[in-house]
Amino acid sequence: MSKLTGLCDAIQAIPDRASLGLGGNTLNRAPMAAVMELARQKKQGLRLIKTAGGMDVDLLCLAGCVATVDAGFVSCETRYGLCRHYRKAVESGAVMANEHACYTVISALRAASYGIPFMPVRGLQITDLVAVNDYFAPVADPFTGETLYAVRALRPMVSILHAHVADEAGNALIEGPLYDDILLSRASETVIVTAERIVGPDYFTNREIKANIPHFLVSAVVHAPRGAWPNACYQAYGVGDEAVRSFLALTTADQLPQWLERRL
Amino acid sequence: MMRACDIMAVCMARLIRDGETVFHGVSSPLPMVATLLAKAHHAPHAVHLNIPGGVDPHAPRLSDITSAGEELWHGAQAAFPLQEVFDLSMRGGLDVAFLSGVQFDRMGGVNASVIGSYAKPKVRLPGGAGSAVLIPTAKRAIIWRTKHDVRTFPPQLDFLTARGNVSDIITPLCVFSMFEGELILRSIHPTSSIQEVAASTGFPIRYLSLVTTPPPTDREMRLLEDIDPADVRNIEFR
Repeated sequence: MSKLTGLCDAIQAIPDRASLGLGGNTLNRAPMAAVMELARQKKQGLRLIKTAGGMDVDLLCLAGCVATVDAGFVSCETRYGLCRHYRKAVESGAVMANEHACYTVISALRAASYGIPFMPVRGLQITDLVAVNDYFAPVADPFTGETLYAVRALRPMVSILHAHVADEAGNALIEGPLYDDILLSRASETVIVTAERIVGPDYFTNREIKANIPHFLVSAVVHAPRGAWPNACYQAYGVGDEAVRSFLALTTADQLPQWLERRL
Repeated sequence: MMRACDIMAVCMARLIRDGETVFHGVSSPLPMVATLLAKAHHAPHAVHLNIPGGVDPHAPRLSDITSAGEELWHGAQAAFPLQEVFDLSMRGGLDVAFLSGVQFDRMGGVNASVIGSYAKPKVRLPGGAGSAVLIPTAKRAIIWRTKHDVRTFPPQLDFLTARGNVSDIITPLCVFSMFEGELILRSIHPTSSIQEVAASTGFPIRYLSLVTTPPPTDREMRLLEDIDPADVRNIEFR
């Protein structure tokens, strides 16, 4: 059964207010083509989940698509600096930043992937993050009584991951640094894969290296060459400097549609 | 002229001991360079861990765009990505974590979250990344910050992102170390003075003795040039 769809149709299937896991890390291999399409379709109330977000989170905040961001870190790193649109959206109260330690996002996704409601973690002993967030709570080890901190499970309704190779059935291979993409694929209710290259049904059968995302977890496959750009994609392309700079220079949401047009 | 980025990179590298497991994350150009310098200089068996997961990347072509990119994967021999680095720290196996923030207090507390209230902050900061779990669990959390003023070292934090095993804080002016639960001045860089450090810090400075940071040696500077010809270590000052 072919799951190959156009980008527009794949994104249309995501409802407003969906919890949405995004692959990649900061300016590395976020599914930017899909992120830009979410902005074009003016999604509302998305609840973003990611260990370390960058331009993806910032763009969706500028587009007014976001209700909450569960992340440990949101920045475009040192050359480009802070995510100003995210920052402004949080400071104005339009977006709620649910700050995690990156590991607590991982732990919350692990809990979802294990089918359990929470995950105990070490750390978080001395932090104001526990007092101000309802997704952290002290929990006693039932065997020793030791206090640990529980992190509530995060189960994204859908995750969008950008892969190097996928077949029409949904088997997908991400090469190089995997970041949290594989975990997201296991923790989410379903996965949309955008891929640099679509291959035939026997591609993985005849190779030593198998897909690291199996078809049955995937609901849609989109052929999206340069689908992470202007993020970097392992061994395919680097960060698009002009595109990142011109995006970060936008000051108001009404400038975004024109910027998006130029990316098509 | 002695540049702040060079003295900071050298100070951070000198804190890494041979054989230690060392992790840095995103937005961490100076820790990335310092880890490579330590391995080239005095700690060849230090283990360089990073987000993409390339263990001990060999001679990476450093990028000023990211410290979590594919250059730290090429030339590595083993894969050990972020999730496993955190697990390692949780079970007591991570010796050094390099972290940063925006405010630091006298007790080694770190704020990387907000200025003002959490729910509707005056300034939303990027967030503590791994700090809230790594600072309490890594054996030593080494902090670097390229700003040193009274807002960076206030008497009181706006928000406590983490407290725990902070061992040292490296700034463009000096090195602080934790001693009996308090930050003390460990050394002042040759480019600064006790007067400048005191005037730039929002709490009283304590020290056991006034020490000047030994300047980078010729060998350290040569190695820095080899490791980082593109001067990635200076990007936070540009």
